[in-house]
Amino acid sequence: MSAALKTDYLTINMGPQHPSTHGVIRFIIKTDGEIIHECDPDIGYLHRGIEKLAESVSWQGFVPFTDRVDYVCAMNANLSYSMAVEKLMGLEIPQRAEYIRVIVSELNRISSHAIAIGAANMDMGAFTPFVHLLREREHINDLLEMICGARLTYNYICIGGVNYDLPPGFKEKTLEFLDHFEVVVEQINRLISYNQIFIKRFANVAVVPPEMAMQYNLVGPNLRGSGVKFDVRVAEPYSIYPELDFDVPVGEGYEGTLGDCYDRYLVRVKEIRESIKIIRQCLQRIPGGEHKAVVKNVIKPPKGHIYFRTETPRGDTGYFIYSDGKTSPNRLKIRTGSFTAMSIIPEIAKGVFIADLVAIIGSLDVVAPELDR
Amino acid sequence: MESILLGLGLEEATAQILGAILKALIVLLFFVTVGGVLTWVERRLSGFMQSRLGPNRVGPQGFLQWIADGVKLVFKEDLVPDGADRVLFRLAPYFCLIGVFCTLVVLPWGSGIIIADLNVGLFYFISITSLVVIGVLMAGWSSNNKWSLLGGMRAAAQIVSYEIPVGLGLLVPILISGTLSMQGIMASQGWLPWDWMLFKSPFTVLSFFIFFVGSLAEANRIPFDLPEAESELVSGYCTEYTGFRYAVFFLSEWANLFVVGALTTVVYLGGGNLPGMISGLWVVSLLVFFLKTGLVVFLIIWIRWTLPRFRIDQLMKLSWKYLLPAAFLAFFGQALWMLLTWKLPLVQLAMAVLIFLTFLVLLYLFIKRVSVNIKEQKTSVNSPLPAEAGK
Amino acid sequence: MGGYFKNIKNGFQSVFEGLSVTMASMLVRPVTVQYPETDISSNETIQRSYKSTLMGMPENYRGVLGVNLETCTSCGLCVKACPIECIVIDTVKCDKTKLTDNSGNTVLNRFTQKEALKTRASTRFDINIGKCMFCGLCVIACPTRAIQHTNIFEMNRHNLDDLVIAFVPEEEKRAAMARGEEIEKEAAAKKAAKAKAAKEKQKEEKTDD
Repeated sequence: MSAALKTDYLTINMGPQHPSTHGVIRFIIKTDGEIIHECDPDIGYLHRGIEKLAESVSWQGFVPFTDRVDYVCAMNANLSYSMAVEKLMGLEIPQRAEYIRVIVSELNRISSHAIAIGAANMDMGAFTPFVHLLREREHINDLLEMICGARLTYNYICIGGVNYDLPPGFKEKTLEFLDHFEVVVEQINRLISYNQIFIKRFANVAVVPPEMAMQYNLVGPNLRGSGVKFDVRVAEPYSIYPELDFDVPVGEGYEGTLGDCYDRYLVRVKEIRESIKIIRQCLQRIPGGEHKAVVKNVIKPPKGHIYFRTETPRGDTGYFIYSDGKTSPNRLKIRTGSFTAMSIIPEIAKGVFIADLVAIIGSLDVVAPELDR
Repeated sequence: MESILLGLGLEEATAQILGAILKALIVLLFFVTVGGVLTWVERRLSGFMQSRLGPNRVGPQGFLQWIADGVKLVFKEDLVPDGADRVLFRLAPYFCLIGVFCTLVVLPWGSGIIIADLNVGLFYFISITSLVVIGVLMAGWSSNNKWSLLGGMRAAAQIVSYEIPVGLGLLVPILISGTLSMQGIMASQGWLPWDWMLFKSPFTVLSFFIFFVGSLAEANRIPFDLPEAESELVSGYCTEYTGFRYAVFFLSEWANLFVVGALTTVVYLGGGNLPGMISGLWVVSLLVFFLKTGLVVFLIIWIRWTLPRFRIDQLMKLSWKYLLPAAFLAFFGQALWMLLTWKLPLVQLAMAVLIFLTFLVLLYLFIKRVSVNIKEQKTSVNSPLPAEAGK
Repeated sequence: MGGYFKNIKNGFQSVFEGLSVTMASMLVRPVTVQYPETDISSNETIQRSYKSTLMGMPENYRGVLGVNLETCTSCGLCVKACPIECIVIDTVKCDKTKLTDNSGNTVLNRFTQKEALKTRASTRFDINIGKCMFCGLCVIACPTRAIQHTNIFEMNRHNLDDLVIAFVPEEEKRAAMARGEEIEKEAAAKKAAKAKAAKEKQKEEKTDD
């Protein structure tokens, strides 16, 4: 009887327009009912050729394009690129600029993690925490708008420092916001992160053991969620991070297995607290002085190449730049965390439910424009 | 109704038929209005819960939004996807509609106000709502869309398995009131809170929770909205529906919300019972009924905008591993409780008052928690600086 | 078995906490700003009307670019700084201080301060707002702070062509063009005269030999 019944896998096209793929990513999934047998991510829908664009614009002119590489954390992308070019040129930048850079990139890290957490919540069907987190992110946008006049694509950190000095009242407003946010983020945690249904949805799902995380080259919170204590800010310190006091939260199997979705999620929640700590320290110690080193209008870095990486919210973003001493880069390559996070999905999405695939995408915090560039 | 028509000089048979049609029309109008208004209420409330405003443009406070939405949906093209089973596809919404609509027949709006006081009222209620499953399954199957199919299958599995705990849970009130008639169940309770079914014994509280959770699941509300699950299945079984048919799905979903609230009110919260002196005032009774129903509906909406969604296996686990044993426990416990205390009405009353007071304490703790949260949320982020204040 | 009851307990507790948070945010004023009705242009009004829970637009908001032609020297640094080439400047050689309109009045007497103006005038200063990404690089590059961001952010137009903002008015353009042509003619005449003189000189020198 059973021989007569022929069953087949159900091939479903998830995306490019799907509510939970966070942009235009496509998954071709083969399912056995609700259980995924095979998952094949298909990327490239948001490819804009940003790396090629770099070859035709000036060195400074590429900074606004780095905003667009990952628009959820534009400051961090600015920082990566600017520091890479400065290293290539051997440029010293003022101490005040270093502090401002750290403040704004940590503020941006908070807002990026807020989006990541909120999107994960929304994928789990809880819409309210997402909107609450957007409300808090709006305050960060306001603060950054106060500094540079833009809300999303800042173009604030530039080669040689930062474009504008801090406006008067920024310190007070930021401290006030941090006081507010510290309390409210804990409230949102009570609403969703410690919710039993949410924990059950995320715990023990899509476990990535530390070895596997390193094999697949996961970076950032995804790697730390698997219990590997690696943070570029600590491992290869840059800027003023060595002078600051902060912890690197790692996954410990908070509600189940080490390296499950909940660990990755909670690492982000904890990193928000660390960022708040960093900003407080920076605001306390920030020195006076210039906010930008003297840089010519047209710069021509010496011949050579450099690979420089910084810790962005989605893992370390590395910029490889090859300069032939002209007014624009000869070759530029961006290495992003979303890409490696995407490559692990086919491996961990085997034998899980369709609902779990949504949880996996949410917990890995994949951002489509950063993925495709 | 019939007497008025007879007074107009019609024959009795005609008057009967005409009266029935008129009654049905009134109920249908009520159904549409309730469904529509509830969509507005839900969107507005969810807005406030999320620090937003919600729709506030059409009419005072956006009250007419549901009419605008309805008009828009009716004017949309009625699409049938390529390769769909046309007959089933077009039929499916009406199954959902009928399944919800027919329950209004046995709802006691107040003491004495009921369309048909069937002696198997509760049983009729549970069985007629099963039609919704058929409608959802048909919609999912006939759409020729894989997401819809998954949604339909989830709905079938979910609703069928939650009917068991709901049915078992409802056995406890039936045990106490000794009848299946809705009016009978309502009449077995009083107007005082400790006369309500909910507070009668610990087991009725348990049965209330089982019934409430099960009803949420049957009404496809978060945390049990897996058949729709917009972040997983796009829009579940109604992905392919447009225009009027989509509106019918929508309407029956929100009317179902009202029906669940009304049933909870009647069975557990004393329905429209009034104190002895004013028991004749049917308008007051109706108002009390609507007030209680509104509170339950608010609770359901509130829960929806608070909790995340279950996964399908967890949903099944909850039903079979948690609710079902609890339902048995509630049933046997209540039987035992009644056996032990049937000669001691004072003990029963003391227990009811005690449970009621426990609920009040919980409410007090809750209000305290809320006030702390309000204080936290109200902390300012942009207070004027000394320089700005000096201006 | 312990986990079984712990699940139930945690479930109830977390629902209780969650409901308290959503109820609280229901009783707190929504943060939505009803944009066209509410004035968002300054921080103070929002601060007052939303009891310090929101921030308004800052003064340095990066909106549509505006150009002050009084201080603009048409040096073209903004064109070079712009990574997407949305600024177009055409210049003519021209002594702006002496520009007059048809009736002979000096319409452009505001150009008197700048040294560079004595040699250049822009006949075209177009910014394509449709292309512009509001990065502010041109503003940083400008040596005289002539190009600046304004606070305007409502810039939808019915026509794509309307998104190109022309800063040089038509009459000024015409006047500058005319003057430029004149100067060119003068220069050409001068050049011709010079060439002629040189030729003659050469001739003379030749004849001398």
